[in-house]
Amino acid sequence: MTPGFFDGYVVDDFFDEAFHDDGTPRAHYRHLVERFAQLGEDDLRHRRQLGEDVFTARGITFTVYGDEEGIERTWPMDLFPRIIPASEWAIIERGLAQRVTALNRFLDDIYVGEQAAINDGIVPRWLITSSTGFEREAVNIPVPNGARCLVAGIDLVRDRNGVYRVLEDNIRNPSGISYVLENRAAMMKILPAAFRAHRVRPVEHYGRALLRALRHAAPPAAGDSPTVAVLTPGVYNSAYFEHAFLARQMGVELVEGRDLVVDDHVVYMRTTSGLQRVDVLYRRIDDAYLDPVVFRSSSTLGVPGIMAALRAGTISVTNAVGNGVGDDKAVYAYVPALIKYYLGEEALLSNAETYLLWDPDQRKQVLDRLDELVVKPVAESGGYGIVIGPTATDEELAQVRRNIEDDPRNYIAQEVVSLSRLPSFTGDGVEGRHIDLRPFVLTGDRVEVIPGGLTRVAMRKGSLIVNSSQGGGSKDTWVLAPVGQPVDIDDHDDEPEDLRVEEMV
Amino acid sequence: MLARHAESLFWAGRYLERAEDTARLLDATYHGSLQVAGDETRNPWAAVLDILHATDEFGDDDRQLDEVSVCEFLVLDRSNPASIASAIATARENFRTVREHLPTEMWEIVNRFHLDLGARNLSADLAGEPYVLYEMVKVRCQTLGGVAAQSMPRDESYSFLRLGWMIERALITCRLLNVNYPTLGYDHYDALLLTLRSASSLEAYRRSFQSSTNPTHVAAFLLQSPSFPRSVLFCLQRAEHSLGNIPSGSGARNRARRLLGRIRSELEYADVSELVSAGLCATLDNLEYEICEVADVVASQYFRVGDEFSLHSQFVLPGEALV
Repeated sequence: MTPGFFDGYVVDDFFDEAFHDDGTPRAHYRHLVERFAQLGEDDLRHRRQLGEDVFTARGITFTVYGDEEGIERTWPMDLFPRIIPASEWAIIERGLAQRVTALNRFLDDIYVGEQAAINDGIVPRWLITSSTGFEREAVNIPVPNGARCLVAGIDLVRDRNGVYRVLEDNIRNPSGISYVLENRAAMMKILPAAFRAHRVRPVEHYGRALLRALRHAAPPAAGDSPTVAVLTPGVYNSAYFEHAFLARQMGVELVEGRDLVVDDHVVYMRTTSGLQRVDVLYRRIDDAYLDPVVFRSSSTLGVPGIMAALRAGTISVTNAVGNGVGDDKAVYAYVPALIKYYLGEEALLSNAETYLLWDPDQRKQVLDRLDELVVKPVAESGGYGIVIGPTATDEELAQVRRNIEDDPRNYIAQEVVSLSRLPSFTGDGVEGRHIDLRPFVLTGDRVEVIPGGLTRVAMRKGSLIVNSSQGGGSKDTWVLAPVGQPVDIDDHDDEPEDLRVEEMV
Repeated sequence: MLARHAESLFWAGRYLERAEDTARLLDATYHGSLQVAGDETRNPWAAVLDILHATDEFGDDDRQLDEVSVCEFLVLDRSNPASIASAIATARENFRTVREHLPTEMWEIVNRFHLDLGARNLSADLAGEPYVLYEMVKVRCQTLGGVAAQSMPRDESYSFLRLGWMIERALITCRLLNVNYPTLGYDHYDALLLTLRSASSLEAYRRSFQSSTNPTHVAAFLLQSPSFPRSVLFCLQRAEHSLGNIPSGSGARNRARRLLGRIRSELEYADVSELVSAGLCATLDNLEYEICEVADVVASQYFRVGDEFSLHSQFVLPGEALV
C-alpha cells in the first residue's frame, strides 16, 4: 500500500467496515484501499468533481424543509463505496425476506384476518388500536396477495461487533431507491475500473422488478394489462425527484391528485384524449392526505373518493393504507415475536435493544439513565424528533422527560448503537464516518431483496445522524456476487416481453 | 398523455420562446441605440415593453422608462413572471414535471441553463456587455429547439411543446409588427433595421425584397412569408401541423383545429396592401386576439378534461385557492 493516503486514518473504538482494529484492510476492501492509495491528490479531486458534476447536471436533488421554503440541494455522494461480501449478504437477504413476510402477514391479520396475533396475546390490542398508523378505514379492505408492504425499506446498522441489527422498519413510503440507482450510475463513470475487479451485483433492474410487483398486485377486475401510475404530492415534495425517477424507470404516468377523478367508484386519469382508468396506484403520499373525504378534509393533494373505490375493489393502492401500524416503533419491538408467531422461525436479524415506555418498569429504568439512551417518537420518520442522550443538552433531556411522562405510548428508547464506520472524504482528507444501510424489499409473486441499498453516512465528525434531511451523505453500496456464480442473476430480465405479461395474468 | 403534462409542455414551449424573443428584442434594441435614431423622440425601451405586452406589469409609479429599469425588469426581475430568468425557471419547473416524457438531454440542458443564469451576476451583465448574455440566452434556447427536433419522438409531448412554441412565436411577431409598423418609412431606415433584426429576419427579408423600405413589404414578409420560420403564417402552419399530430386533434370537428385553420387561411390568402389600406394595426389586434383564442380552446379541449368529475375544482369555495 502506498504510504500517505490512509496514514492518518484512525480506526478508534468502533467497528470499521474497511479496516481491522490493527489497521490492516479487511480482505474484501483490500483491492479498493490499494486503488485509492494509488490515486494522486489531483486525480482524486478530479474524480470528486466529476461526481458532483454528474449529480448537478442531471438535477439529482432533494429538498430540505427549513425555515424558508424548501431548499433544493444536490445529492451528496461520497467516493469511497461500501462493499458487502456475498456471505454477509446471504444472511441479510434471508433475514429481510423473513421480516417483510412476517410484517405482511401481521398487517393482513390485523386488517382483514381474525387478529390472531392479538387474540393469542402476542401484541396487546390497545397498542394496535392506539397506534396513529392504525386506520379504521382500512379494516376489511383486502389487498391482492396480501402484499401490503409491496415496497419496504428496512434500516440496518452494525454494532460494535459488526453484527447487523434492524434499527427501524419503513413500510409506508420508504424513499431512497432512486439514489441507489443514481449513485451506481455515477460511480460507474467515476471509478469504472474498480467495478471490473469486484464482481458487483447490478441494481438497475429495480424499475422492472417494481413494475412487475405492482402489476401482480392489480385487482382481478383489471384484466390482462393493468394500468399502473405513480401518485406524487408534487414538485415541492422532498422526494419528488424519486417519484419522477420511478415513473420514468417503469414507463408509467406520474400523476398528482388533481390528475385523478373518481366516478362511480372507478378511478380515472385525466388525459388529453379523455378519462383513462387506473388499476394500480403506487402512491407516494401519506394516508392522511390520500382521500379528503375520509381522512384530512383539507388535503388538496389526494383523490376524493379513492377509499370508496378501494373498498369497491376497482383499484389497488400500494403500499396499503394503514401500514403505519406495522412500523410504529412501539410495534417494532414485537417484530421478532411476530416472526416466530407467523413463521415459526427465529428472527435472523435482531432488533436494537428497545425499551417500551408505556411499561412502568421499563419507563423508570429509562428515565433513570436518559442521558445514555436514544429516545424516538414512535410515528416519525426521516430522523425528526430523535433525541440522543449522550449529546443532548440538559434542556433537551428535561423536555424529552416531560414528553415521555405526558404520553409514554408515543416514545420508545433504545441503547445507543455505536454505528460502524467507513472511510469517507472530508474537507481535507479521509476519516471514519458512521454509516447505516437501507435495503429495499419488494413483495410481488415472491419477496425480492434488491442487492445493495442506500448506505447513508453522517458527514459530521462523530455524528450518528445519517438522514439526508439532517445533512447526511451517501455511498454506493456494492454487494458482491458469490464466486462461481454469474454476476447478473436477475432471472426475469431475459424473458421476452410477451411471456412476462402472460405470466402475470 | 396526462392533461396536466400536456399543459406543462405547452407552457414550457411558450416560455422558452418568450425568453428567446425577449433576448433578441433587447439585443436588437441595444444595438439600435448605439447610433443616432431617425426619430429621437421615440423611446425604444417603451416600445419593447409594448411589444412584449408588459407595459402594465412594468407600471409607472416608481420606475423610469429607461434602458436600465426596462432591461432589469425583462431580464432578471423574478417578480415579473415573463422575465428571462423567470421564464427559464418556469420552463425548467415544467420540464421537471414531465421529465419522463423528455429525453434526458433536454432536461440536462434546461437545468444547466437555469443554473448558469442563477450563477451569473445579471445586473453586471446588463451594465457591462449585455449582448454576451443575450447571445447566451438565444443560443441555449435554440439548442433546446434543436435537441427537441433531433431527439424527441414525434408524439403528443413533442406536439404540445411545439404548439406552445409556435403560438408564442406567432404572437410575438404580430406584436412586433403591430408596434413598429407606424415607425417604418423611407426616412427611418434604422426603424426598418430594428424591426427586422428583432425577428432575426433582416437577411431573409433582403433576399425577398432587396433593400426595399416600403412598410407594406415588411408587413407582407413578417406576416405571410411561406418560407421564413418566424413569419406569422409559417408559425401558424407549424402550429396547425402539431395540432394535427395530436390524437383527436385532426378532423373537421375539432374546435381548436377549425379555428386555427380558419385564421391561417385568412392570413394566407389575404392581400396585404388591402389590409394596409384598411388599417393594419386593427387587423393585427384582431389576429392577436384570435391566436389567443386558439390557445384558450386548446386549453379547454385538452387541459381541462374531466373537470366535471373533479371534486378539487368543484368544491373550492369562492376566493379559496387550491394549493
